[in-house]
Order: sequence, then structure tokens, then C-alpha cells
Amino acid sequence: MILYALISLGPSLATVFYSFTDASGLIGTPTRFLGLSNYREFLFMGQNVRDNAQVLVRTLEFCFLVTVIQTSLGLLVAVLLNQRMAARTVFRTIFFLPVILGVTIVGLTWTLFLYPLGGPAQKLLGLVGGHSEFLGGPPFQAFLWVTWVQIWANMGVTMIIFLGGLQTIPSELIEASRIDGATGWQSFRHITYPLLTPSLNTNLTLAIIGSLQAWQLLLVMKGVTNGTQVLGLIIYAIAFGRTVQNPTSVAMRQGYGAAASVVLFLLVLVIGMIAQFLMRRRERRVLG
Amino acid sequence: MSSPSGRPRMSPTRLVMILVLLVLAAVYLGPLLTVVNVSLQTRQQFNLNPTAIARQPQLANFVTAWNKANFPLYLRNSFLYTVIATGLYVVTAVFVAFPIARRYVRASGFLFSLFVVALFLPYALIPQFQLMLHLRLYNTAVGYVLLFLVDPIGVVILVNYVRSIPRELDEAAAMDGSGYVRFVLRVLFPLIKPALASVIVLHSIGIWNEYVTPLIYLPKKSLMPITRGLMVFYGQYGNDWTTLAAAILMLTLPIAALFLALQRWIYAGVLQGSVRG
Repeated sequence: MILYALISLGPSLATVFYSFTDASGLIGTPTRFLGLSNYREFLFMGQNVRDNAQVLVRTLEFCFLVTVIQTSLGLLVAVLLNQRMAARTVFRTIFFLPVILGVTIVGLTWTLFLYPLGGPAQKLLGLVGGHSEFLGGPPFQAFLWVTWVQIWANMGVTMIIFLGGLQTIPSELIEASRIDGATGWQSFRHITYPLLTPSLNTNLTLAIIGSLQAWQLLLVMKGVTNGTQVLGLIIYAIAFGRTVQNPTSVAMRQGYGAAASVVLFLLVLVIGMIAQFLMRRRERRVLG
Repeated sequence: MSSPSGRPRMSPTRLVMILVLLVLAAVYLGPLLTVVNVSLQTRQQFNLNPTAIARQPQLANFVTAWNKANFPLYLRNSFLYTVIATGLYVVTAVFVAFPIARRYVRASGFLFSLFVVALFLPYALIPQFQLMLHLRLYNTAVGYVLLFLVDPIGVVILVNYVRSIPRELDEAAAMDGSGYVRFVLRVLFPLIKPALASVIVLHSIGIWNEYVTPLIYLPKKSLMPITRGLMVFYGQYGNDWTTLAAAILMLTLPIAALFLALQRWIYAGVLQGSVRG
């Protein structure tokens, strides 16, 4: 039992340990203690700093866009599906399907859909006279497409959690408000939405923590290229990247990667705690 | 919104709502249907017009993909990893969760909170890699399976579920002289079936879909699971979209079928997993 706990917690603490060393991906090379120099390099040294700062900003943009859009879209879909309707379960299945398919299938499917030489997205854009290189275009544009695919792929979870929350709201409450003359929007705004606070908080927490650490779709759809990376992706690239092209390479800088992981962890911690604080405050105000 | 007879009337609001749903459903199905369509096209058709409906659907792409992409080997690997790792994981997770839920071990409250905390901790990629490397388990199937035996979410779901089962049962079993292991396997397992089902389904889908873990841990081609194999194939034949679409589809169909059959447990698992301690 204790072993089990150690296995799951130990590595997190060990990340901090490795971040002070020059550990590599090779057995037999001695690991030296470096103190804070990995952090100095990551945060304060020359060319890296500008790149790393951009990566940090992009990580935050990714987190913000995914959290806001995924949560709103999930709420919209859940509310629409929470009424008597013939094809309810069919819609639910369709919206949840990508969650099950995983990053490889989702990434490749969208790469095909965004195929620039007359693919479906190009045809649709052509209807309004537009043209785009999509994933092959300017980095920021490609980044936005991957962000959208991330939302597309995970909205199903948000929807299911909201649907679970909606089921706990007694329908008499809504009906009573309608009899009192409230419009659909009013009863949503003043009854459903406040009562959904627990589900909303769960969804926001999951989306914030999840999106700060998400990078797998970026890897599938864009690989390790400049201009579209987020923090999680460069950690992977620093610590393991060389193995992809050259399995025998010694350049896997695991210690430096660990330092970047600690930076990411602190980012998740700080943003997570601010979000928790704001959500608790709102919950007290709304639910009393 | 319902008329006196009780049947929903087609009010304008309702019409708009249904339209919104239909548009969204199109956004969700469009990319998937594109894959289906392209997988049935010939290469010439695709190069001429990727969105043309495949008039004479042909299955040649599937045969090509099956052979060229090394499908049988990769599929076998994925299948073995998923089944073995999920099986071992579920059994160990139950034996961990049960005593914690019943407080049969010291500091079980503390242990449980460790698992809940672990849910939020970032995945410790680098130390785990160093550990595997020095245990000489890097690039081995055994090592790869081991990676999936420590996932806190299943333990958390199981602990919460076991707590809802009356404790009297344990005592009755103990009076009957039933041993601990026997009790867990024969009495507890059937009782916690719903939670087990969710954990099994979520865990196995997670392993099946895993892409980065094999990328890091299994560079040897003969050990790769299908997700990784598909990306290798994509790297080699990146422009051969008709074959690629067939390969994607062959990977999608089994998961989609499983999903349709087990939807209920999946949704339940997502909800149980989101109610975190």
C-alpha cells in the first residue's frame, strides 16, 4: 500500500530532484548536481528566454481559449439536450464520440479534413470566397486550428458533466417558474445556471488543469515546430525529442526538461489556486 | 413550451435549438464522414477532388493499409497491452481500494487523500523514464505494461463505490469463515460491478489510445502499438491519404463499436471520476 502511494507520488517529488541535475537518457553516464543552472538557462539566458516566454504566453492563450469555449459549448449542448426530444441519445453519442477516439485518430482525421488541396474545409471556405493553408499556414493560425480540435475532442466530457448536473435540478422548479411567467431564458439565468455551479466548477477545473498540460494533439498535428509549441510540448522535446529522429542520441536533456516541468507545475498550481479561489467565492455568493 | 395536449409544439425557439444541434452534429460528423469517404476513393479520385462522393466504393485501400502498415502485428501488440494491463490494474486497484474504503489499514484517510492529490499532480514523465531506464525496462513490453498499473483515478472511483456497500457483508463473510482474498474475489467483485465496468472501460480505452507513452518507451518497431504504428505509417506515406484514411477507419471502427455497446458505463465513469473526493 505504501509502496503504491510512493510509486504514484514519488515521481512528482523526484521531478524536482532531477531538475537540479544534468540527467540524460543514457545509462552509465554519471549524473551531476547542477544547482539552479537549469532554471537559470530556462528563464534567463539569451535566445532561449524569448522563445520560452513566447511558449509560456501561448500556453496561457491555449488554456484560456480551451477553457472558455469548451465550457460554454458544453453548457449550451447540455442544456439543449436536456429537454424532451426524439434523438437526444443520438446527439449525445455523436458529441461524445471524439473523446473515445483518442489523439491519434482525432489528429489525423482533422488533418485530412483540413487538407489544403481541395479538402472539405477548403471547399467550405471557398463558398464564401476564402482560401487557407490551414495547418500549413502561418504558425498562429495553425495553432488556433489545433486549439479548436482540442475543444472539439473534449467537449463531450464537459457536456456529460453538465448533463449530470442538470439531472439533479428538480423539473418542478423550472415548471413553477414558467407558470409564474418566466421566459425560458429567465428561468435558465436565475434557476438553472446558479444551480449548475458545482458542475460548472468541476468543468472549469478540469479544463484549466487539462489544457495547461495538453500537448499531444499539437504533437500529432504539427510535430515539434517553432511557433506552435506549448510548455508541455517543449518539455517533451527537450527531454525526449531526439529519440524520435535518432534513438541512440545522447542529447536527451532530462535534467533541463525536469526544470521546465517544475515551471509548468508551478503554473498549474498558481492558476489552479486562483481559479479555485474565484470559484469558491462565486459559489458562496450564488448558493449561499 | 408544451401545448395543452402535452406534446411539444414546434415553437420558434425550439426550432432554433434543434437547428443549432444539427449544425453542431454536422461539425462533429463531418470530419469523420470525410475519413469514411476518402477511404473508399481511389487515389486518382482523391487527387482530382477529395470531397467527391466515392461512387464506386472499393475496399482496395483497406487491403493495402492492412499489409503496408503492418496492421496485424501492431493490432496484436495493442490488444495484448490493453488486456493484460487492464486486467492486472483492476485486480490490484480493488485490493488497494477495498481496505482503504473500509478503513482496515492504518491512516486510510490519509492514503485516500494521497490518491486524490495524485489526480491533480502533473504526470511525472522524467523521473518515471529514469526509473524505467535504470530498471532496464525501457523498450520492453513488460516495462510498458507496468506503466499502466498506477493510475489513481480507478482507486478513487472504487473507494467511493465500496463505501456505498454495507459493511455487514464483510462481517457475515468473516463469520462464514471466508478468507480475505476469496471474499474480495467472490463476494465483492460481483457487488461492485458497475464501478468495475466503468474503470475497466475507461482504463482500456486510455491504454488503447495512448500515443505519447509508446513514443517515449517503445522505439522498437516490433513492440509498437497500433496508434504509434499509424503515425509511423503517416510519416512514411503522408500523402497517401486514401490508404491512410482506410487505416484510420480500421482503428476507429472497433473503438466506436465498443463505445456504442458500453456507452452507459463510460458516461457513468466520467461522472464518477469528476466527483473527486
